[in-house]
Amino acid sequence: MFSNMLRSPGKTAAWRLSIWTTLAFSVGTALAFLIMYLLVENSVRERTDAWLKGEAEVLSNVATSNAQDTLYGRIVEEVTEQATREIAEEGSEKGQNEKSIFFVMNAENHPTLWIGPEPRESYLTAIDRAQLKSGIPQYIHVDNLPIPFRVVASSREHGSRIYLGLIDHAANNLLDRLIQRFVLVWVGMVLLGFVIAYASASRTLSRVERIAETVARIGTDDLGSRLPEAGNSDEISRLSRTFNHMLDRIQASVNQLRTVTDSVAHDLKSPVTWIRGRLEGALSNSNDSSWREPVAQAIEGLDQMAHLLNTTLDLAEAAAGALQLDRKRTNLSALVRQLVDLYHPAFSEHHHELEVDITSDISIDADVAMMNRVVGNLLDNELKHLPDGCRVRIQLTETNKRAELRIEDSGPGFSPELRGRAFERFVRGTHSSGHGLGLAIVQAVVRAHGGEVGISDRAGGGAVSVVTLPLAPRADAPII
Amino acid sequence: MFNSQCSSEGQLNIHHFPGQVQMRLLLVEDDPAIRGFLEQALTEAGYEIDTANTAASAETLILRGNHDAFIIDLGLPDGDGLELIQRCRAKGSTAPVLILSARRSVNERVRGLEHGGDDYLTKPFALAELLARLRNLLRHAAPPQKETLRLRVGDLQLDFVRREAYRNDQPLRLTSQEFVLLEYLCRNAGRVVTRAMILENVWQMRFDPATNVVEVHIYRLRNKVDRDSDQPMIHTIRGVGYVLKHA
Repeated sequence: MFSNMLRSPGKTAAWRLSIWTTLAFSVGTALAFLIMYLLVENSVRERTDAWLKGEAEVLSNVATSNAQDTLYGRIVEEVTEQATREIAEEGSEKGQNEKSIFFVMNAENHPTLWIGPEPRESYLTAIDRAQLKSGIPQYIHVDNLPIPFRVVASSREHGSRIYLGLIDHAANNLLDRLIQRFVLVWVGMVLLGFVIAYASASRTLSRVERIAETVARIGTDDLGSRLPEAGNSDEISRLSRTFNHMLDRIQASVNQLRTVTDSVAHDLKSPVTWIRGRLEGALSNSNDSSWREPVAQAIEGLDQMAHLLNTTLDLAEAAAGALQLDRKRTNLSALVRQLVDLYHPAFSEHHHELEVDITSDISIDADVAMMNRVVGNLLDNELKHLPDGCRVRIQLTETNKRAELRIEDSGPGFSPELRGRAFERFVRGTHSSGHGLGLAIVQAVVRAHGGEVGISDRAGGGAVSVVTLPLAPRADAPII
Repeated sequence: MFNSQCSSEGQLNIHHFPGQVQMRLLLVEDDPAIRGFLEQALTEAGYEIDTANTAASAETLILRGNHDAFIIDLGLPDGDGLELIQRCRAKGSTAPVLILSARRSVNERVRGLEHGGDDYLTKPFALAELLARLRNLLRHAAPPQKETLRLRVGDLQLDFVRREAYRNDQPLRLTSQEFVLLEYLCRNAGRVVTRAMILENVWQMRFDPATNVVEVHIYRLRNKVDRDSDQPMIHTIRGVGYVLKHA
C-alpha cells in the first residue's frame, strides 16, 4: 500500500477514490459549518437588537420625563455604561466610549447631546448616510473602524431623534472564535477523512492488486497458484472466486494438453524407433541396390520426423518456461571456435569467405549442448540462405559486460515480410528447405540463458544476427 | 552385421568379444515391436539375448547374475525403470546398464546416470549407435587395453606420435581435425558410425545440424584417403552412416 503510494500515488485507484471521497466530505462539512455559523450569528444579533431597542425606549422615556440638562446627560451616561457592561461582560479593556454611542438629534438635525468617541463627525456622517428608520437596528460602517456599529434610532415628538449604538465586542469575539474553531476542526476532519478513506480504499484495492500479481505470476510461472478467498461475499471475493474457477479450468486443460502431447510424443517415438531399426537392419543385411535407396530415404524421413518432434517438444517446454538447462561455466570463445572449425569446410564448399574474429576466454554460464545448438543453427541458417560466394564475418566480443556474438553476411538480407517474424515457429524463407524451427529454438534457448537475439539488415547490404549473453561471474580458471 | 568384415590389424584389438566368449545381454522393453527388432539385431551382432517385458520379471533375471550387460527401457508398465536399476544395484548387480528412454530432457539423463545407469540413449536411436554404446560399455567392463602409438587398417597407417596418416606409405597431409576424424573411423574400422556418433566423439557436440557439415568433412577426408587408390576405404551407407573398411 505505502510502496504504491510512494511509487506513483496519482496513478493508483485508491488515491483517486480517496481524493473524490475527501472532496465530497469536505464540501459537505463546510456547508454544515456555514449554516451553523449563520444561525449563531443571527441569534447573537437578535439579542443585541433586543437590548438596543429596549434601552432606546428607556432613554426616550427618561428624556421625555426629564429636562434636557446636565442631569439627563448623567443619567444617560450611567444607563449606557451600565447597559454596555451588562451585554459585554467579557469586553475588552478599552473605554466604554469606544463601544457605545448615544446622542440626541434635534429637529434641525443638530446633535444636542453626545456621549461617545470623538471626533463625532465621522460617526454622524456615517449615520446620516445610512438613513436609519425608527426602531429598526442597522449596521453602520464608520470610516477607520474595523467593526460596524449596530445603531437604532427612536423618534420623539418635535421631530427630534434619539440614537443608540453599540459595538458588541463579545459577540464579535465569539463569532471570530467560532470561525477559527470551525476552520481548525474542518481541516482536521478533512485530513482524518482523507487518511481513513485512503486507508480503506487501499486495503480494499490491495486485494485487487494481489489478484493482479497472482495472475501475472501465473503468466510466467506455474498454473498452481490460487488467489486467497475471503469468507465474505463482497465484489472482490466474488472476483477472486471467479478467477480461481477460471484458473482451475485452464490448469486442467493445460495439464490435459501436456499429458496428451507427452503421450503422443512418446507413442510416436516408439513406432519411429522400431520402424527405423527394422529398416536399418534391412539395409545392413542386403546389398540389393534396387531397394537400398528408397529404404535409405525412408530412414532419412524418419530422422527428420524425430528431429521435428524433438524440436517441437523443446519449444513447447521453453514456451512453458520449463526448458531444462544443465548450466556450467563455459568458455564461449572455445565453443564458437570449435563450431567454426566444424562448419568451415561446408562454408568453403559454397565458396563463402569466412572471416573469424573471436576474443579469447569469454566465459558464460551455459548448457553446452544447447549453446552448440544455438551457434550451429545460426551457421546452418547462413549456409541455407546465402547464395554461393558470399562473405561471412563471425565476431565474438565482450561489450557492456555481455558476450556478443555477431554473424554478418554479404547476402541478400532478410526479406521484409520475414524480418519481424523470423523467430516465430514454422516461419521460413521462400527458398528455405528447413522446417522453420531453427531460429525459434535459438531464441528460446538464448532467452532461457538470460540473453537476447536479434536480426537486422546490414548497412552495406546483407544480414546481421546478434546474440548477447550475460557473462559468467569472474573466476580464475575458465573451463569448457 | 559388419563385425564379420572387421579387419583391424596391428596392435589394436577391436574384437567384440574379448576372450571369444559370447556376451549375454538382458533386454528389458515392454513394446513388443521394439523388443522384436532389437532382439533380432543384437542376435545378428553376435550377442546372446534374454528379454523381459516387466520390471518384476526383469528383476528376477538380473539378480541371477549371469548377464554381461542390461538394456533397460525406462517406461515399463509395472514401475519405473530407474527404480528397477536402483534396486538391482542395491542388491549387488554390477553389470553395465544402457538406459533407453523416450524422454530427452537433461534431468532425465542425469537422473538415469545417478540411479546406476552407465549410458543413456533416447528413442528413436540408430541401431549402429546402440551397438557402439553397448560395445563401449562392455569394453569398459573388461580390463583396460594398452595405449597404442600406431594403428594400421589395411594399407592405411596412423602414427599418433607424429599425428600423421599414411596410405601405402605415402603421407596424406591431413589437417588436425581430419586426423582425429580418421582416427575415430579407424578405431571403429569395419563398423558403421553415425553422424551423431562422429559429432559426439570427434567434436564433442551433442546436437543435430540442419546442414551437411559432417558430410563435407567426410567428403574432404575421403578425397585425401581414397584419391590415389583404386580401393576406396571410406564408405557411405546412406540412411545409416559411414564405415571405414579395407577391401
